[in-house]
Amino acid sequence: MLRNASDSWGAPAKLFHWVTAALILAQIALGVMAASWRVSPTKIELFFWHKSTGMLILALVALRLLWRLANPPPEFPSGIAAWERAAARLSHLLLYALMIALPVTGWIVNSASNVPFRIFWLIPLPAIVAPDEPTADLVALVHGGLFVLLALVLVAHTGAALRHHFVKRNTVLVRMLPGTWRTP
Amino acid sequence: MKAMVAFLELCGLLAFAPRPAQGADWKMDPAGSKLEFVATFEKTAAPGVFKEFDARLRFDPDKPAGGGLDVTVKVTSADMNIADANKEIRGKDWFDYAAFPQAEFRSTDLRRIEGNRYVAHGTLLLKGVKQPVEVPFTWTYSADGAVMEGELTVKRGAFGIGAGEWAASNVIGADVKVKFKVKLRKAG
Repeated sequence: MLRNASDSWGAPAKLFHWVTAALILAQIALGVMAASWRVSPTKIELFFWHKSTGMLILALVALRLLWRLANPPPEFPSGIAAWERAAARLSHLLLYALMIALPVTGWIVNSASNVPFRIFWLIPLPAIVAPDEPTADLVALVHGGLFVLLALVLVAHTGAALRHHFVKRNTVLVRMLPGTWRTP
Repeated sequence: MKAMVAFLELCGLLAFAPRPAQGADWKMDPAGSKLEFVATFEKTAAPGVFKEFDARLRFDPDKPAGGGLDVTVKVTSADMNIADANKEIRGKDWFDYAAFPQAEFRSTDLRRIEGNRYVAHGTLLLKGVKQPVEVPFTWTYSADGAVMEGELTVKRGAFGIGAGEWAASNVIGADVKVKFKVKLRKAG
């Protein structure tokens, strides 16, 4: 089942969700380590993988949004309050916005700091701003701030999914799990 | 008396010694000259320049033997246009600006390869290390002088550029390309 149905996600949507989830967790670890490591070849390696993964996430998000446009998400199960629907919509909107804004601000930092970089050693990343140290420093701060916001939204997203499953006992979590899950 | 004879013989020898072929003396015009280096950073070219350097040359393109090339580079004028890299390369592991602010290349062995292509065999003194280096170049006369242009590859490790953990070449490559374009005017 490829396309989303009114009560379940199709396989591509699930794949996008879990691959992105895994990449984002790896990306957070890489970013935190890269930023805090002392200046050394290891620090440069960490940044290299962080930047490459970030560009991969950006590309995946673009594809994912296209897929989502062509495939409306399933409807909320019954028993979801208006505030819960609003909170879900807002957090999903924020997640998409952050999955774009974080790689883009990272890209700006890389351009402004003028560090030569090819994604996974293959694709040269074109500069989107001119080399300028104050710009690099400022946008790096914004990047860090957006990361904190992402961490908060991820906690809310995960917490909400667990609440749907264990407290509200609805299908919101299981219908995103791999494989086919029968509605109880 | 013996010393006197020896002295006179020495004077005689000097007087009759064949004079080296004297080419013209050339001075560098900094405005038209450029000295670049291209390091690699995660297998991607990371270019930089030495903003201040000087070259002096005694050279006759038709008779390169007997000429000489003398280049001094103000290592502390290196600029990679990357703020973090510029801070880093000053340090002991890299150029060590404090101890070795200047590099020199000296050659008294200039040879023609063919046509306008030549090579200067000489010694590069960089970060306190002397190594034999071959500098190939082309020679082109211009309206107001001549232009010497070429490039060579230097192994940074041979000069201790990138010491300790930086010696590994997987992140910062072992080879550094050096490119130069030197505009020369006849001196005197």
